Amino acid sequence: MPEPILEVRGLVKHYPLTRGILLRKQIGAVKAVDGVDFHLDRGETLGIVGESGCGKSTVAKMLVNLERPTAGEIRYKGEDITRLSGKALKAVRRNIQMVFQDPYTSLNPRMTVGDIIGEAYDIHPEAAPKGDRRRRVRELLDVVGLNPEYLNRYPHQFSGGQRQRIGIARGLALRPEIIVADEPVSALDVSVQAQVINLLDRLQKEFDLSYVFIAHDLSIVRHISDRVGVMYLGRIVETGTDTEIYDHPTHPYTQALLSAVPVPDPEAREDRERIILAGDVPSPTNIPSGCRFRTRCWKARERCALEVPALAVPAAFRDEGGPAAHDSACHFAEEKRVVPAEGSGGHGGGPG
Amino acid sequence: MPEQPYEPERAVAGTGMGGQMDLGASEAATLTPAGPEPAGPQERPRSLWSDAWHDLRRNPVFLISALVILFLIVISLWPSLIAPGNPLQCELSKAQDGSRPGHPFGYDGQGCDVYTRTVYGARTSVAVGVLSTLGVAVLGSVLGGLAGFFGGFWDSVLSRITDVFFAIPVVLGGLVLLSVITSNTVWPVIGFIVLLGWPQISRIARGSVITAKQHDYVQAARALGASNSRLLLRHITPNAVAPVIVVATIALGTYISLEATLSFLGVGLKPPSVSWGIDISAAAPYIRNAPHALLWPSGALAVTVLAFIMLGDAVRDALDPKLR
Amino acid sequence: MLLEVRDLHVEFHTRDGVARAVNGVSYGVDAGETLAVLGESGSGKSVTAQTVMGILDTPPGRITGGEVLFEGRDLLKLKEEQRRKVRGAEMAMIFQDALSSLNPVLTVGDQLGEMFTVHRGMSRKDARARAVELMDRVRIPGARERVKQYPHQFSGGMRQRIMIAMAMALEPKLIIADEPTTALDVTVQAQVMELLAELQRELRMGLILITHDLGVVADVADRIAVMYAGRIVETAPVHDIYQAPAHPYTRGLLESIPRLDHKGRELYAIKGLPPNLTRIPSGCPFHPRCPMARDVCRTDVPPLYEVSPRRGSACHFFRECLDA
Repeated sequence: MPEPILEVRGLVKHYPLTRGILLRKQIGAVKAVDGVDFHLDRGETLGIVGESGCGKSTVAKMLVNLERPTAGEIRYKGEDITRLSGKALKAVRRNIQMVFQDPYTSLNPRMTVGDIIGEAYDIHPEAAPKGDRRRRVRELLDVVGLNPEYLNRYPHQFSGGQRQRIGIARGLALRPEIIVADEPVSALDVSVQAQVINLLDRLQKEFDLSYVFIAHDLSIVRHISDRVGVMYLGRIVETGTDTEIYDHPTHPYTQALLSAVPVPDPEAREDRERIILAGDVPSPTNIPSGCRFRTRCWKARERCALEVPALAVPAAFRDEGGPAAHDSACHFAEEKRVVPAEGSGGHGGGPG
Repeated sequence: MPEQPYEPERAVAGTGMGGQMDLGASEAATLTPAGPEPAGPQERPRSLWSDAWHDLRRNPVFLISALVILFLIVISLWPSLIAPGNPLQCELSKAQDGSRPGHPFGYDGQGCDVYTRTVYGARTSVAVGVLSTLGVAVLGSVLGGLAGFFGGFWDSVLSRITDVFFAIPVVLGGLVLLSVITSNTVWPVIGFIVLLGWPQISRIARGSVITAKQHDYVQAARALGASNSRLLLRHITPNAVAPVIVVATIALGTYISLEATLSFLGVGLKPPSVSWGIDISAAAPYIRNAPHALLWPSGALAVTVLAFIMLGDAVRDALDPKLR
Repeated sequence: MLLEVRDLHVEFHTRDGVARAVNGVSYGVDAGETLAVLGESGSGKSVTAQTVMGILDTPPGRITGGEVLFEGRDLLKLKEEQRRKVRGAEMAMIFQDALSSLNPVLTVGDQLGEMFTVHRGMSRKDARARAVELMDRVRIPGARERVKQYPHQFSGGMRQRIMIAMAMALEPKLIIADEPTTALDVTVQAQVMELLAELQRELRMGLILITHDLGVVADVADRIAVMYAGRIVETAPVHDIYQAPAHPYTRGLLESIPRLDHKGRELYAIKGLPPNLTRIPSGCPFHPRCPMARDVCRTDVPPLYEVSPRRGSACHFFRECLDA
């Protein structure tokens, strides 16, 4: 197997909680990310799903170096990028770019579209010769499906979907190898979401991009991802290919999450089993001992409070192989199909 | 996306380009470039500032207020251009007299020519207003902006210092500090206003820098590798400067009247200096017998303050592309 | 019929002209029935609901025609005084953002109790007891203690339960829920929707569920009204619409959402953007984005054709769409 383009090991981000104005005293920490491992291969899409507060956005920020990890490594082509600074950091940044969630706040309202996309070349003059920049910006607009003549317009003159295309063009300007997309379509209308997802799909093939795709919408993540990691309270609790996670989940949290997704099929509503979790997600300042999901888990036993389950293939499935044999951080992992099987009702082919 | 009852964003999105913009996105599905652009010839590259200037030149409010201010500046520098007389040459015998040929505004209580004094008074008021606002704005926004951007220890220190300055009563402070200074120029007054005024702007600047800093576009630029100075100059300052401009122009008016107040109390400028403030306070007791002596300097003061506020308003609007 | 909206028209006056947000909407809800109003932002679904509730801001909004019949009376003809008695007691609304819909400086007990002291004239003590009862009913654990807490001390899901409790307090006949679960996480969303459906069954209320989420609709609705550009483009019992949509817009929406049960290939994407409400396309408002559009669609506004007794579609070619 070739070396992964990105490898994350033991990634941790704790935000200190302090008291006092001039003399600060630490009184605790928000454990936003608390030991995350994954890898990303060239040309693949890794989806990271989880509910709000699970730390997925913090992971994204650390990948593009907007936040410094408290501990852990992020290896880009074998080199740990978390300790870089100055020129070396700038060089790495060219290769890992980000697409933001909110198309309304991620573009500077006082800059023209041309300046927003072209700023990459001001910061990295070596990426494009001066006379060539305007032409490149036009080309990028064309690539993301916008009229290249919109160069001199301001962001507010565009709709949400078009703004997101501008954000994507900015992310592409430096021809990165990796794009980290943090909820790139969740602020868009349903009919526009599909346009942007298709665009991301097409760009991946065209530019041989690797994506880390972060979202809370499980259907979108399945659509776009080759592999999926499910996050809960700062950790990945289950990871595998899309089929392994969606059709053969073994972690109870994944099962609950999948069973709760409303499926656009009224026929399925009577015979669908829904796992309703009790209570709320615990505060990241006060994470339960042992398995962090145990406070809401219907299977929890004494062992779960004492022993942290490792993210590995559970012993029960290790020998038999098959799609259930993937990494799952649960002492009592069991396969359970919660998504109704394909083709049980619903509608057929596309229009026109 | 959460629906709002009415979406100004979307309503604006269609202006002047409705059909064409829609075409642009629809074509995306088929990967062909968007249709022909009807919006005129190939546009030259533009920046925020050139666009703002383009707007301002067509804005009558800006043009009128700029003309008034230009006029004020010219007569502050060369008052003798339109007022040949001497503001200090007074004849008590003419005290409180009305309009005479060659003396259109009449005479004040000391028998001085109100027209000449009003023209000469502009110099003091404009100098105090403009220079102290400039000083306050530069000092306040640099300190407040840097504190807001970098945060941390120095930010806390600065916040405490501004708290201390806010606790100083302005008039009392003026009485104490200025009474020990004997110089009869505008500089001590300006210095005093800057000393007490900067915390106000510093707070505004700090707040708006912190707001601007949190926007995703600043994060996006940082992810591209932008340096701190680029973040501050390109992304944060243009988006944080508007409140500072607004507050500064309003403050300019209050500084001009603060000068008048201090002069009235005898610690600002003192006669024989000429200032609207001095003249207003001198004429106030005689408002029944000689209202003209109060009217002209007060009117000049009001017009000046209004002109600066309207100018600030126009500049703020021009710097906001959302209103374009 | 409990509530019947007939040919409602609402417009907004904006800088860009008149935005026609609602253009002849008619729908009805029976007691015990759930009507889902489905639409994207700007479709007019929320404006219609606000008009029904009588909380539309006028200006900028203006109701230019139509009737809102609640148990036979036209609410639009009532005086504000009478209207207020209907709100809360007979119909109630649940909003998307529970945090901003609750007053941060009052305890949830006070806010729940207020419903009883104001509408029912109860004493504060009795009202407090009823508040605890209500919180139990929406399954907030430890209601007796938590009744004294403030809104920020509750999680998002719990706050939405409090909003539901408030809406249910006076056992209204109609509930309008505007994107009640959009801001919540999937697992919490399921809890809240289940609670809402259960209470509705128990109290036999009419429920209008406003949403953009086709999954939520499939889970709870009896009937659907799909809105586009301020019009209802399709209305049908929930099973029919998912099996065979009779309008190309509905079909497009259903095709464009990724599936949870398998990994599809390229998604079908409706081309273009929702229209600008200040200039809605002529004829069928969907024609610029419609794969089936023909000449007649550009000129003639389609009426809501009867597809079958309980089903309507505003498409000239609904038969073709059904067969496709």
